[in-house]
Amino acid sequence: MRRNIFKPLTCGGVDHRIHRRMFLQGLAAGATSLMSFGGLFSMPAFAQQAKREQKHCILLWLCGAPSQFETWDPKPRTPYGGPFKSIPTKVPGVHISELMPKCAGILDKLAVVRSMKTKQEEHFQAIDLLTRGNATRPPFVRPTLGSVLGQQLGQLDSPIPNFVLLDPCPEGNEFKEFKAGNWAGWLGAEYGPARFGGEFRPPDIDRVEGLSQSDHEAREELRKFFSKKFENERKSAAAASHNAVFERVKGLMSCAHLFDLEKLPPKEKENYGPGTFGLHTLMARNLVENGAPFVMVANGMPWDCHVFNHEIHQMLVPDLDRIVFQLVTDLEQRGLLEKTLVVVMGEFGRTPWLNLKRGRDHYPQAWSLALAGCGIRGGVVVGATDKLGVEVAEKPFNEQNLFATIFTALGLDPYAEYDVKDAANLPTFHRVENRAEPIREVLLKGGAA
Amino acid sequence: MNDEKKEAPALSVKSAKELKLPTAVLALDISPDTKTAFASCLDGGVYAVDLGSGEQHKLGEHDSYASGAALIAGSPLLVSAGYDGVLQWHHIEERRTVRKVSAHNFWSWQLAAAPDGEFVASVTGQYICGGYKYEPLPEREPSVRVHDAKTGRLVHSFSHVPPVQCAAFSSNGKFLAAGNLMGEVRVWELASGKQVASFTTPSFTGWGIIKGHYYTGGIFALHFAANDEELYAAGMSSTTDPAAGNGRQLWQRFSWRDGKKLGETKDSDSGRGLMETLAFHPSGKYFVMAGRLENGKWTMAFFDGATGAMMHSLDTKSRVTKALFSADGKKIFLAEALGQAKPKDGKVPDFGRISIYDIA
Repeated sequence: MRRNIFKPLTCGGVDHRIHRRMFLQGLAAGATSLMSFGGLFSMPAFAQQAKREQKHCILLWLCGAPSQFETWDPKPRTPYGGPFKSIPTKVPGVHISELMPKCAGILDKLAVVRSMKTKQEEHFQAIDLLTRGNATRPPFVRPTLGSVLGQQLGQLDSPIPNFVLLDPCPEGNEFKEFKAGNWAGWLGAEYGPARFGGEFRPPDIDRVEGLSQSDHEAREELRKFFSKKFENERKSAAAASHNAVFERVKGLMSCAHLFDLEKLPPKEKENYGPGTFGLHTLMARNLVENGAPFVMVANGMPWDCHVFNHEIHQMLVPDLDRIVFQLVTDLEQRGLLEKTLVVVMGEFGRTPWLNLKRGRDHYPQAWSLALAGCGIRGGVVVGATDKLGVEVAEKPFNEQNLFATIFTALGLDPYAEYDVKDAANLPTFHRVENRAEPIREVLLKGGAA
Repeated sequence: MNDEKKEAPALSVKSAKELKLPTAVLALDISPDTKTAFASCLDGGVYAVDLGSGEQHKLGEHDSYASGAALIAGSPLLVSAGYDGVLQWHHIEERRTVRKVSAHNFWSWQLAAAPDGEFVASVTGQYICGGYKYEPLPEREPSVRVHDAKTGRLVHSFSHVPPVQCAAFSSNGKFLAAGNLMGEVRVWELASGKQVASFTTPSFTGWGIIKGHYYTGGIFALHFAANDEELYAAGMSSTTDPAAGNGRQLWQRFSWRDGKKLGETKDSDSGRGLMETLAFHPSGKYFVMAGRLENGKWTMAFFDGATGAMMHSLDTKSRVTKALFSADGKKIFLAEALGQAKPKDGKVPDFGRISIYDIA
């Protein structure tokens, strides 16, 4: 039986379902109804309820791929184990790298998967796989996680883009290539990411110098009046699209301060920073707090340690440790953790064996990641690798298992079917193919699909 | 100095012996009679290796990689250092560890012993993100520790900017130099404990543009010239891709008192790869730089001390972590690591080596 992806979901609360249904109604009304979305939330009480139900996801994207040995799956005093010790955590019997003392102290809030086993060992293909959750099937481009969640969890009246990518690094080899590609796939370009960070920000969203806020608003009202009149009288889709862009820009202008590192409170900057990854994670927290459904935080491909693996991990991992600790702690203190899924991962792991350059190379055969927050049971470590860290010894999971877990944790049906117009004669596409099982051990309720 | 116009004298370098070790050799010293090697290894072990039979005997063990090994002149002592931050004293005749001193809260990146047997120095420092561009955070403990080589007593604690990756004593034992990730060299006078010089070379440090925004590289080896007025530094040249490790094989020579650069590897001589060790021939006429190869022809090369011209080079097909000349100058000993291989029958194949070359 085909289930349409836009059907009401089986969990997430009554209001959440209404929210999605009304979104569909908006879609069904066609392009010219775009302006009417704001009207869906004309009743303040309903809008507030929807916001209360809002779920979020922050993806700390460790691009380049960190070493599992120097993070979540240490093998001290073994030939491949590296120089770092392991330390006990808040979960009895579980040790992680000594480079992560802060995460060790909150491991009861994290779920660690030590048995990821995927197949792509080149960056571009692996980034594609681990951001889309399924292997590509040209010519159909599957939307990335951010696009799907932006569509499914997005607030219709939010000025903040539904998919924010924070990455100040303009380069990044394969990730740079990937960033230039199609993130939203068959969902359409409107579900692609809005990129911020460093020098990246949408152009022309600053109010013209010398123009007061009241003058700016008066001009906008006048523009809106004439544009709408034109759109209605001529039934112009182009005018409707034009108006939608203005609305988007207006929204961005109203929340531009959320993307300004200079406006972050110094004390909080101290907690997360001073590096770019931490500061942008703080920005992600603020965005989520202000309604953003999905924020992906990246920083180029810093984890690709073919050279100086230990020398770079001794710097990057403590930075990550502090950032994850601070984010999870902050979200919990703000009452947002149970509604916000935090995913900490790269596109694969790194080889057990050290190369001549003091580095570890690409290794999808056995690697680790961590989850926390919405729908996730803390204090769980799932799967295991063998003594040397070469093979998965218990419970192998792949990208489909992971995505089924993420969707289930957020209350989305992992197996819902996409309605892809151009694929009428082809097998149907689902959020997760092959009805791959979620990693039930890390889910609070064992899954809601 | 005009390197271009002078021709290097001929040198013959022939492989004499190669000993396999189960694990990478990260530091090495050789007994004066050249019969025994003392190797600090990646498994944490400190081994005495009979260079005739190849027999290995463990003298001690660190709680992480063993990174330093230095015989103390005029004594039966070997000092080792490790990524556990501990210095260990071993009695090489009685084959036992006689002292352990906790020197650092982080790795001992490198250990150096004064030629006169008076001091040992160990350098440390964790690279912690300290700024928007991932500038290193200032030190949280002294980056350089100097201990009495025979008693283990702490003699000096010197400040530097971590991570400090290498150290060298002057041949007269009066000065200690240490270099760091950011290319800064500081020199101290040991009698007074005062810093007497500092200079920075930007040539060895890269800031990642291509993949990650942070610093890599730095100075990995220092060596005073025979006159003690000049100081050599080695590593690889700046690279914008931290994941490539493809900086130029580089040494630079400085007048350390004023930081003036006097020479460096010629472009035509160098390939790509990190250089980790410098050794001077007892004659003082030439020196060796060695490390690993990314792209090019050699992992070890001999350079004329007067002109900087390359005299000889060879590819050991390994990562050379330490090079040492015998006292008579007729041999050179190399500590080496190979890339680790996948396990066979549950066992990791040997990936350490000590090589001996005859020089004429």
